[in-house]
Amino acid sequence: MEIKSLSLRARAVVEGFMSGLHRSPRTGFSTEFTEYRQYSQGDDVRFLDWKVMARTDREFIKKFEDETNLRCTFMVDFSKSMEFGGDDSGVKKSDYGRTLAASLAWFLLQQRDAVGLATFDRDVREFIPPRYRQDQLKTLLGRLETQPAGQVTDLCQALNKLASLVGKRGMIVLVSDFLTPIADLEKSLNLFTAAGHDVRVVQVLHPRELDFDFEDAAIFEDMESGRSLILDPGLARESYIEKIKAHNAALDDTFSAQGITSFRVSTTEPMELVLLRFLQQQPAKAVVRQRRSTGRTAA
Amino acid sequence: MSFLTPLYLIGALGLAIPIILHLLHDRPKNKQVFGSLMFLDKTKPPVDRKRRPTHLLLLLLRCLALLLLVFVFARPFVTVDDPAAAGKRDRQWLTVLLDQSASMQRGDLWVQAKGKVLAALEQLGPGDHFTLYAFDNKADLLVDVISWQGSASEGEVTQLLERLDKPSFGGSNLGQALVFAGEAIQEYEANPDERPLVKRDILVISDLQKGSRLGDVQGYEWPTGIKVSLDQIGEDDQGNCGIEQVAARTLWAATESVPSFRVSNSSNASTDEFEFVAQSSTDDDPLSQKVHVPPGRSRVIEFPTEWLGQSINRLSVRGDVADFDNTFYFAQEKQQSVRIVYIGEDKPDDAEGALFYLRSAFQKTSALNFDVQFMSGKSAAPLPEADLYVVGDAVNAKLSTSLDKAVRAGGTALVIVHSGKQAGNMQQWLDAPNLGIDDVKSKDYGLLQSLKLDHPILSVFRDSRYSDFTNLHFWNYRELQSLPEEGIQVLARFDTGPPAWLLVSRDKGRLMVMTSGWKPADSQLALSTKFIPLLYSVLQPVLESKTQSRQFFVGDQIRISKFNNGNVAGSVSIIPPGNDVAPIKAGDVFLPDKPGLYTVSGSDWSEMFAVNIIPSESRTEPIPMDQFQRLGLPMNDLVATPEQLAVAVATEKTEAHRHEYWQWALAAMLLFVIIETVLAAKGSRSVEPITAS
Repeated sequence: MEIKSLSLRARAVVEGFMSGLHRSPRTGFSTEFTEYRQYSQGDDVRFLDWKVMARTDREFIKKFEDETNLRCTFMVDFSKSMEFGGDDSGVKKSDYGRTLAASLAWFLLQQRDAVGLATFDRDVREFIPPRYRQDQLKTLLGRLETQPAGQVTDLCQALNKLASLVGKRGMIVLVSDFLTPIADLEKSLNLFTAAGHDVRVVQVLHPRELDFDFEDAAIFEDMESGRSLILDPGLARESYIEKIKAHNAALDDTFSAQGITSFRVSTTEPMELVLLRFLQQQPAKAVVRQRRSTGRTAA
Repeated sequence: MSFLTPLYLIGALGLAIPIILHLLHDRPKNKQVFGSLMFLDKTKPPVDRKRRPTHLLLLLLRCLALLLLVFVFARPFVTVDDPAAAGKRDRQWLTVLLDQSASMQRGDLWVQAKGKVLAALEQLGPGDHFTLYAFDNKADLLVDVISWQGSASEGEVTQLLERLDKPSFGGSNLGQALVFAGEAIQEYEANPDERPLVKRDILVISDLQKGSRLGDVQGYEWPTGIKVSLDQIGEDDQGNCGIEQVAARTLWAATESVPSFRVSNSSNASTDEFEFVAQSSTDDDPLSQKVHVPPGRSRVIEFPTEWLGQSINRLSVRGDVADFDNTFYFAQEKQQSVRIVYIGEDKPDDAEGALFYLRSAFQKTSALNFDVQFMSGKSAAPLPEADLYVVGDAVNAKLSTSLDKAVRAGGTALVIVHSGKQAGNMQQWLDAPNLGIDDVKSKDYGLLQSLKLDHPILSVFRDSRYSDFTNLHFWNYRELQSLPEEGIQVLARFDTGPPAWLLVSRDKGRLMVMTSGWKPADSQLALSTKFIPLLYSVLQPVLESKTQSRQFFVGDQIRISKFNNGNVAGSVSIIPPGNDVAPIKAGDVFLPDKPGLYTVSGSDWSEMFAVNIIPSESRTEPIPMDQFQRLGLPMNDLVATPEQLAVAVATEKTEAHRHEYWQWALAAMLLFVIIETVLAAKGSRSVEPITAS
């Protein structure tokens, strides 16, 4: 990767993609009218359209589009396994993931959306709530530039904790390699989807993690647990590929069951193409559940 | 090339181990970090497809070292037929102990035994040491070939064996023969000029019958390196029956005793009905009676009353298979006369006196004819010759001096101190001029204590059943004052301290002093059970010098001087059994070598004695083999069958003529291991780091 500074890297990647706006998932007290609805008992009488009532002698509630900006939180995996790569076969997964997150953050801040950041390994390391400020991008990039110091990934524990930290509904972009047992992942993700978050998942993998392209036998050491194994890659490859395919398939199933949009990217893929793909990707249908607000929210 | 232990060659399969290990990759030295090993399983050890020349060399060295190790264990050797080379081999010493005891007379055992000796010669090579002993109750060295010369030496041994036409009549003492042979080997090896022998074997060729004595081996520290092989010949499967005389228990109990004989049947006997036959010297019809002796039992047979008058001199048992021991030669005991003189004032029929009890104690028996005389101490008559003098009162000076002389000349005297009047006599006899005699007036009675039961005179009471003297009460006793300290043995004391029984040695003779006699007024001794054994014990040395049994065993030492009541003077000749046998001039000791009735005669006397085979020879059942192990003999093989012996001989020959190479193989293996270590160490330093591709 030629551009080392994360800030510059993000800008270079995001230039030319500033198009399109989000629609807030919330409806509320706003200027832009959306529709009428017949009054039912319990509705706030403040929202009654008196004019229509006078005209038609029927009670209608006037509904407006909520104009609140998008709140996007990037959740970036800072575990040790993300440090794999960095050789001639591709950049580190962590570099790739952080660049991706930084690019999207810059892009969202450009369109005045609130952007936050959470880093995690087995637990939540940092959490910067989504804000739209002048120095928010700087804060985010500063945090992203710190070297991951975590060890083992425990995605579920981290997500459970983040679910309580992330308040309002918004977009959640989860960047991780997902090389962790996924038995309880669905339950953890459900905390977000049930809360109405638009969850997007980016699974970053190194090409060697996909095709296990090693030749010489070596002592393979797990970056997270430190466990080592003497392996003849020729003998182990087939089984490995089978298992990782099965793991990915299981992940896909989990995401689709939750209506989560997921991307699997290799660190060799050009990032602008990935960004393009990300932005063009429509949220999965299950996610488009815009709750109709019955009134003005306190926010 | 052959192998001594070829089974170890299976170990060569172990060559597969280094080959497999070399095919397998060494533990990879490069390390590869990876995101997660959760999808990776342990694989088989990686195969090294790129072998390097260094590895091939190492493999070769390792295989060779392993192969040589297998060789070392398999003990390769090359049999050498070259006689010159054979001459250089290590020498061995074979000692053969050939049993020539009486039990070897059974069947063809003797022929078999001689054949075994010749077979044993097969294993001898040039220069070996060969010794042959024939043993019965003693071991005779027949031949001792220091350096075996093949057929020449074999011819010598064969000739010698041919001369041994039959075994002896002696008893078997295998223990003594083994110790004798072991000591001979040790003695020979103690000589520093002799080259040590690699192998020393003792081969026993015997019927190994149970009667063979092994006691000498017990407690003998067997020399290291000498192995014993037993070659048992003949299997006693029909048993044997033996006969022996039952000895009289005690001298004083032999009064008019009827001779009795024990017929023993071995435990493996096939029959239990025998005929007990007695033959007299007059060659009348033999007397016989049926005897039932179950296997493993024995039965004592007394002469029937009607046989007693006959002059029986041969007894035999008929009905068993082996007849070498069936005849028992019997010589009637000749009565020996023993003269005892009592000097005192007692009357012979006075039950209150000492003489009465003395005469009663020495009653005539079948073997001993006691002549108890008595004389007054005041008598002027000369002291008669006697085997035992018993002095009961003070004697006059003349008698006292004569008695002292007689005792000094080798006589035995028993003095009973009754009164202070005897002080003068005692002073003379004990050489104690100040000796005085005091009467001790005991309130009730005195008892004996501090008895020296180890002394020969009192040893008869040593058994705890007889050693209780507390029932023996002494009413009156005396105390000898100013006793000399030297030359006097106190055999017993009274419980108040003064000596009761004393023994004084006077030159060749002995004087026993009792400070209380056996008169009823003095003590209960005459009426106690101790009285007769005590008197016989005092007389025992006399009886031993005069009396002689008439029954001997082959190999016994017979003292000629004891015949004719101990009066043997001039030349004595012995006529061995058999007809027309020339008399043998006898020396002091005669060793009979065959059973039968012998006649010993001097110038004016003639006596007969019988010699028999020792009864233990009749016990022909085999010795339990564990007995040899218990004795700590280093056995080669407990009992070698002829086939085993042949195999052993062949093996011995092979071992003697072979050249072994295991030492060289071991040296080469060590060399290869050293080279391999150096190469491996060098190789490990030059290993290139393996990088991930």
